[in-house]
Amino acid sequence: MQDNTSKADFVEIREPFSGLSYKIEGRPDYSFLTVQIPANETLKVEASSMASLDTHITMKTKLKGGFSRFLTGESLFVNEFTANKAAGEIGIAPGTPGDLMHQYLDGQTIYLQNSAYVASTMDVNLETKWQGMVKGFFSGENLFLIRCSGKGDIWFNTYGATIEIDVQDDYVVDTGNIVGFTEGLDYKITKVGGYKSLFLSGEGFVCRFTGQGKVWIQTRSADAFAAWAHIFRPVKSRG
Amino acid sequence: MNVELLHRPGNTAAKITLQAGENCTTESGAMIAMSGHMNITTSTHKKGSGSIFKAAKRLLVGESFFLNHFDPAGKAGELWLGTDLAGDMILLDLDNENLVVQSGSFLACEDSIEMDMGWQGFKSILSGESMFWLNLKGKGKIVLSSFGAIYPIDVDGEYIVDTGHIVAFNETLDFSITKAGKSWWHSFLGGESLVCKFHGKGTVWCQSHNPKSFGRALTSSLRVRRA
Amino acid sequence: MKSEIKGSQAFSYVEIALEPGETIVTESDAMSSMDAALDLTATLNGGFIKGLLRKYLGGESLFISRFANNTDKTRGLTIVQGTPGEVRKVTLNKEVLYLQPGAFLACTPTVNLGLKWAGFISWIAREGLFRLKISGTGDVFYGAYGALLEREIDGEYIVDTSHLVAYDPTIKLKLQFAGGIFSSIFGGEGLVTRVQGKGKIIIQSRSISGLAGWLNPKFR
Repeated sequence: MQDNTSKADFVEIREPFSGLSYKIEGRPDYSFLTVQIPANETLKVEASSMASLDTHITMKTKLKGGFSRFLTGESLFVNEFTANKAAGEIGIAPGTPGDLMHQYLDGQTIYLQNSAYVASTMDVNLETKWQGMVKGFFSGENLFLIRCSGKGDIWFNTYGATIEIDVQDDYVVDTGNIVGFTEGLDYKITKVGGYKSLFLSGEGFVCRFTGQGKVWIQTRSADAFAAWAHIFRPVKSRG
Repeated sequence: MNVELLHRPGNTAAKITLQAGENCTTESGAMIAMSGHMNITTSTHKKGSGSIFKAAKRLLVGESFFLNHFDPAGKAGELWLGTDLAGDMILLDLDNENLVVQSGSFLACEDSIEMDMGWQGFKSILSGESMFWLNLKGKGKIVLSSFGAIYPIDVDGEYIVDTGHIVAFNETLDFSITKAGKSWWHSFLGGESLVCKFHGKGTVWCQSHNPKSFGRALTSSLRVRRA
Repeated sequence: MKSEIKGSQAFSYVEIALEPGETIVTESDAMSSMDAALDLTATLNGGFIKGLLRKYLGGESLFISRFANNTDKTRGLTIVQGTPGEVRKVTLNKEVLYLQPGAFLACTPTVNLGLKWAGFISWIAREGLFRLKISGTGDVFYGAYGALLEREIDGEYIVDTSHLVAYDPTIKLKLQFAGGIFSSIFGGEGLVTRVQGKGKIIIQSRSISGLAGWLNPKFR
């Protein structure tokens, strides 16, 4: 009943003693995530990302994140996939072309850009509002940070390839290219006035990170791509 | 200037390392991230050369009006560059040669490279692509970007390249706009219409994919816009 | 004929070397560069009526191109798909393969391209009324947006409809809702395809509709 080869050549990429068994194929351009959900356990997955599924896995749709999600135009919902009675496999393909990263959280906290979220296990907390949060981190109204903490696996995708930067002193990053970063980094958002055309995102907002920690950057900017695609949109015909 | 190209050919990013005293000129809008101590100046022309007039010519060419100049203050610094469309990048080392580069493919170059616009004349308009070119010459490194993977073709005789697929070519080559097939009818139906025929001896750098074809494939799924 | 697929999954392109006398058949607008001495002719994709059906219902182009080497030296050409993604070559030996519309790129002239009625199920699944049945002996190049991943099926499996590219004729397709009515509409999954049988399926790791879904909210 299961498909044979996908288990046979399943390379276990897992840190010792933790996390679910998963495989990422198609890196770094069109990454595809396959997760083995243990029997009777549930995986949270961003809506519209499921590409393939074992037939005994059931899906439930949940409203997530509260009111703030309504405004973004992002899908409101997160799907919960449960493997009934036996372990099952799910194949996940986000809509964005690019890479997929995994982190196993064990008490640490990371901050992710909302559209980068792909999937996580039930014990990872996802918050859109928290004490001390900086409003308007991103220049577009559609983007905000999610704070992820707790214990479990989390997967996120990047638009384009991922560059991991180990910040030692300080680093300046175009906000449109920030995917996520670890707690412990100080950040300051500034607008580089006057030189609108300087940065990929066109807005001129940059974030200066100081301290010690990791920043994940994506090599492409979604706004720039949307600007390019604009001319190909079908035109509403009058009358 | 040290250039490292990562994640080729799908989502290439260029990591440029500049030593103290070194300078780099890039297309505006290309920066993704950089070391905290990098100095940026934005201008309409290359440092130490050019004028408003040359910049105005560049505007016609389709390149953005501004160029950015980076120099690390005091110590070595890093600079990451990306493009708005996914694709490849290539590092070329010019040795006092002349390279003709398609508008939009220029990404960055060393200070020692001279940039000028070359007008290819009437025949370019017929192709339907905005076929404007930059002439790059001098001695130093150039980084070009593309949509699709970049592959070189060594021409010795005659070779045809679809107009949307040209990234750059040696000035030693001659080119003409022509039809791809045996007859105009066949060329048109074959979807190829006008193509570029290169003759002579030199290299043409091509990009595997064509942004217009990709855009057209997306059209039916994209949200409608007002005219 | 020698062929090499380059450009990795992001931007696969095929470099073909045609010996004197050889021909290759491709979908239209596939050529990115070619030796000037090759002959290009365009023909209707299976006759005028069938060609129109193929275009409007099957998503294929109305015309196909034939590149022929009528010289006495080996000549090269490079072909690509309009959408970036991975391209694969499969060598058929009197076998059959089903392809989703739009996935076909090129083949040697000894391969037969047939348009098959895929049934209303397929149409409701937004996969089109027709599918391409490739049969015979020769090389076939096909591709899709995204990376191509192979899965061996023995029994049943569920695949999101916009991610299925190719499958063996021993596989049957059935349609179903992903979850209950609420989930299917709001969970974004909608209708999915249940594949049954024993054989191989090829899925693509991205879809144009997925990309558009991600892009559309970003437009002002």
